[in-house]
Amino acid sequence: MNNAAVPGVRVGVDIGGTFTDLVILTPDGRLEKRKIPSTPDDYAEAIIAGILDALGGAGGKIETPIAEIVHATTVATNAILERRGARTALITTEGFRDVLELRRIRIPFSYDLDWEKPPPLAGRALRFEVRERLDHRGAVLTPLDLSGLDAIARTCREEEVAAIAICFLHSYRNPDHERRVRDAIARRLPVVHISLSSDILPELHEFERTSTTVVNAYVAPLIGRYLENLRRRLEEIGTAAPIFVMQSNGGLVPAGTAAERPVLIIESGPAAGVIAAMRAAREIGHDNVITLDMGGTTTKASIIEDGQILRARDYEVGGPVSVSSRLMRGGGYLLRIPVIDISEVGAGGGSIAAIDSGGALRVGPHSAGAAPGPACYGRGNTQPTVTDANLVLGFLHDGSLAGGALPVDRGLAKSAVQSAVAGPANLSLLEAAHGIHMIANSNMVRAIKTVSVERGRDPTDFAMMAFGGAGPIHAAGVAEALRIRRIIVPPAPGLFSAFGLLRAEVEHHTARTVLTATADARFDALQSIIDEMADSLKQRIRAEGLAEETIDFSALADMRYLGQSSELMVPLSELRIGDAVLRAAEDAFEVEYERLFGHRADHRAFELVNIHVIATIDRGVEHGACWDGDADDDSVAGRHRSVYFGPEAGSRETAIVSRRALGVDPRDGPIIVEEYDSTVVVPPGWRAWRDGQDNIIIDFAEAAD
Amino acid sequence: MPFDPVRLELIKNAIGSVVDEMLLTVVRIAYSSIMKDTMDLSSAFCDRSGRMIAQGLSLPLHLGSIPDAMEAVLAEYGDAIAEGDVYILNDPYHGGMHLPDIFMFKPVFVDGTLFGYAILVAHHNDMGGRVPGSSAADSTEIFQEGLRIPVVKLYDRGKANDTMYKLLGLNVRQPEVVLGDVRAQLAACDIGERGMQDLAARYGVDELEQSFDALLDYSERGARATLRAIPDGVYRFTDYLDDDGVNFNQPVRVQVALHIEGDSLTVDFAGTSPQVEGAINSTLSFAKSAIYFVIRSIMVEDVPNNAGFFRPIKAVAEPGSLVNPLPPGACAARGVTGFRVIDALVGALAQAVPERIRAPGEGGTTSYSIAGYDRNGTYSQFREAIMGCWGAGANREGIDGVANPAANISNAPIEAVENSAPIRVERYELVTDSGGPGQWRGGMAVLRELRYLGDNARLQLRSDRRDHPPFGVKGGRAGTPSRNLFDNGPGADGNADWVDLATKFVRPIRTGQAIRHTTAGGGGYGDPFQRPPWRVLDDVYNGKVSPAAAARDYGVAVSGPPWRVDTAKTEALRCARAATAADE
Repeated sequence: MNNAAVPGVRVGVDIGGTFTDLVILTPDGRLEKRKIPSTPDDYAEAIIAGILDALGGAGGKIETPIAEIVHATTVATNAILERRGARTALITTEGFRDVLELRRIRIPFSYDLDWEKPPPLAGRALRFEVRERLDHRGAVLTPLDLSGLDAIARTCREEEVAAIAICFLHSYRNPDHERRVRDAIARRLPVVHISLSSDILPELHEFERTSTTVVNAYVAPLIGRYLENLRRRLEEIGTAAPIFVMQSNGGLVPAGTAAERPVLIIESGPAAGVIAAMRAAREIGHDNVITLDMGGTTTKASIIEDGQILRARDYEVGGPVSVSSRLMRGGGYLLRIPVIDISEVGAGGGSIAAIDSGGALRVGPHSAGAAPGPACYGRGNTQPTVTDANLVLGFLHDGSLAGGALPVDRGLAKSAVQSAVAGPANLSLLEAAHGIHMIANSNMVRAIKTVSVERGRDPTDFAMMAFGGAGPIHAAGVAEALRIRRIIVPPAPGLFSAFGLLRAEVEHHTARTVLTATADARFDALQSIIDEMADSLKQRIRAEGLAEETIDFSALADMRYLGQSSELMVPLSELRIGDAVLRAAEDAFEVEYERLFGHRADHRAFELVNIHVIATIDRGVEHGACWDGDADDDSVAGRHRSVYFGPEAGSRETAIVSRRALGVDPRDGPIIVEEYDSTVVVPPGWRAWRDGQDNIIIDFAEAAD
Repeated sequence: MPFDPVRLELIKNAIGSVVDEMLLTVVRIAYSSIMKDTMDLSSAFCDRSGRMIAQGLSLPLHLGSIPDAMEAVLAEYGDAIAEGDVYILNDPYHGGMHLPDIFMFKPVFVDGTLFGYAILVAHHNDMGGRVPGSSAADSTEIFQEGLRIPVVKLYDRGKANDTMYKLLGLNVRQPEVVLGDVRAQLAACDIGERGMQDLAARYGVDELEQSFDALLDYSERGARATLRAIPDGVYRFTDYLDDDGVNFNQPVRVQVALHIEGDSLTVDFAGTSPQVEGAINSTLSFAKSAIYFVIRSIMVEDVPNNAGFFRPIKAVAEPGSLVNPLPPGACAARGVTGFRVIDALVGALAQAVPERIRAPGEGGTTSYSIAGYDRNGTYSQFREAIMGCWGAGANREGIDGVANPAANISNAPIEAVENSAPIRVERYELVTDSGGPGQWRGGMAVLRELRYLGDNARLQLRSDRRDHPPFGVKGGRAGTPSRNLFDNGPGADGNADWVDLATKFVRPIRTGQAIRHTTAGGGGYGDPFQRPPWRVLDDVYNGKVSPAAAARDYGVAVSGPPWRVDTAKTEALRCARAATAADE
């Protein structure tokens, strides 16, 4: 077996709420891009349209062979948010069917009597109990009693259940009961999808494991159908190229695995952006980068440190995003999956600004979204948004955005800002618009602090990489508030996530709870667990048709001081467990602990909670590339407009340039770089130039103005 | 002249993120589960004159406690605050609430001048005294409850007070945990100090202090707007605690009169029981927290929690009463009184603005601990809290399985419990037919059953709402009462031997014995016979209401499975009741 892709182009596809972004890499290293309106009725429609537009020939067939398609999608997330998943049942240990509904009890906001609990994805009528019980070591306390399964299967059939999750207490220690119930159910209900908690998440904590397993079951049938349909549509246009899907952890999996474990791909688009940033950062020698990914409704921030992404373990679908803090858990559907640590705030281009009854200016969390969109779109929304403010200030081009695809009217933006903010607050129009811009910035600062300061990282040690349609407009303001002195705007920032898809590797994660003090850890027991995990990954990879010789294994450990109740994740130096490996992990834990909390514990007693094994598969793709097209665009050459940069700098006549025209020598702001998919704002006090990779570098300039 | 609305929002966000960071620091480095998982703690920043400018995302029932504690610190050291000092206190008669809560204050200096205080209050695992966990309801004097700390310097110009550390270490059951948690509080205060100094460097002290005034005014306007929306008048309500933890079958009165005049509120507690022998006495600061919480939750808009919010609200309570006790009244289990003050206030507001409130939920956390020494003499302690549900409101269904809104804490993961303590959780579930019937149904009761597998230990439990279940509003009915069952077995025959226990108790527990606690169900809202039959059907389908209760409580005839509403029978049931009502 070998992994070398068949020759041909590689296609990255990122489906968002508004646009489907395609990035196409040709074998000679050129990149092409397409932005196609998304087609929610059948998302494959936009993908096919984009591919045909770029590679199409006669008769609706492609002319250029495709080597592989790499895909990020919000289909699973949307299915959960819109409650369009499968009719799902849950089978639990007797006495515990309500664990899913009771959750962790805590709510995201304390004073909100209107809060509504997200309805469980498996309703109480479809939650069944089976007589069985394991203890915390996995020993059988009550033997499994299968006598109730006929009745359960009958009810599931009558209720037209399409997916079943099985989660027993302590099954992370012993999967036997779950497997026997699965076999018994599968015999009775052969076409129903079944997810086992000991398979999806063999880790301690019953609610988190149950919730994750139920989400997996809930979206599995839908994702399976979605990927099958995409496969068929691709075959229709003449390609059988393999499909890979981006996971929330930044690695790819083949479509078959994604269909089995869709819970892994819930938050795939944002992960792709971070992977793109990681590669771009490494290439230009910036090992420490904060990413700022601003879209229409939210802004996401993440950290790359020493050239590596930071990982997290919990993610909530549909939780409140207006404040990113970890204290506000409980509002959505919890997933414990390997994710990139990304924080999100409800501040995007569509976020609505208003004066509240106390007289303060608020931005978000309400959003005008993509439809009706900002007031300047003229599609029925008259409340001012962040995009309207940016248009009023002159940051955005009056007339149209997205290379002319999106008409905007500055007059509408002005009257929205005037009537909802400037008038009530007795501010001038420009002051009001600038206020909206600044408050949006301060919300983004909070997102960045969540991933940096809250994790013991000082943002001033980082450069900022700004992307997403609106990120480069706000980057300088956000950087200034955090005292970040360098901003990097990569080429095609509006399609950066799609680009990231082409720069990711196939990656499989698995984890197991081991729960042992490191001082009396039994090496052989740990080793056999690790070997088992590595073997199961190898099997999975073989089944996917990839070559196991190219697998690179690594391991992580969740550790804590003995007596504490939450863990930190640290790397294990190798997969062969021994004294040196554990001592090194303890040291790494203490270094990270001290970094986070400023001190170490008095005792040096540690507990090893979970071990994660990661398999990365090199399939021999090239990660370097250069963009075709509009860097040369000179349509904006020689233009100027008046732009308001706040009370100190005031209104300034500002040159509008293309990325190409910006030049390689540092040039003082104010400058605005207008591109097809984004606008880059270089305020007074900053200077900008273009580097060898076509990135725009923006540096804070001490002596400006 | 009004403060720039842009600056106001920016500075508000910045200070908010400092106090939240303080809280997160404790959550992440504390040792005890009550700080890490339950998050029984609050952070705040006060300005140089002691006015609270911001409070972190934290326990609502700490809202009103900071000002009184701050005042106690200023009274003691106000004219000699030095850089590097750290003050602590826990005594309810010296600015505290109950002994497990240690308040910590670190003065923040900017360029050598006092600028304000970073404050962190947190509930410790143990503070000594006669019962492990220091939270027993059956103490009768504060001296039994643990180590009392008046306002003292834990650090004097940066130098640690060894005497205080030694005293604290010797008086608590798990000194390594308590001292580790004190250090977490210190780390949080350092974070607060640094964060506020950074802000001072960015905006300048003068501008920040002007913004403090504006922020206080801003919250005051929010509070006044809320109060103005309540019709003027006096609204009275009386609710009861089942007992004081010592004298059973003697209900304890909580009586409130809400005087709404324009945009201000006075809550008069006249008629409330005198202070009690048991440990449920609540400081006035805690009762005020309950008032602030209730007003805060009917506000339309979000405002910062600060001293401005408190300005239009007054509380009056006779010294020597349940909500304003005198020494040496015991206070450890005062939480339950705070919950009941909230419920009484809700009962009063239900007369004025019924559409704004929810009927009471389960009545507050049921907290309990199992603690003792094993054969080797090693002490261990397990504690957790059980909740809960929300009552129903106008167009608001009660919520099943949720934290009390005034004590937003987490439950303990069953698998974590079983891995860390000699305990097996046998059931954890919602209870059918427990939510108060109403047009909008109250939330369901929660049942949790634990079997103890360790050596001999002591079980301490605090609950309520057994004799006085959560009431309904506007024709809605009460939820079911709480219950404590104890398995006295295994007897000689090896069988369980379940007996009913009081609402609050401390008792021995042996290997194999078990406790089963059922919370109360939440109150309903509106006439249950007005509940749409499809909602009743949905509840029956989900096993939340039985078919018998559907007919009896809602006048809806449901048969099955497959479940369906019998329309004719339902009409008959509902007409029959209407006829009975007309006859009366």
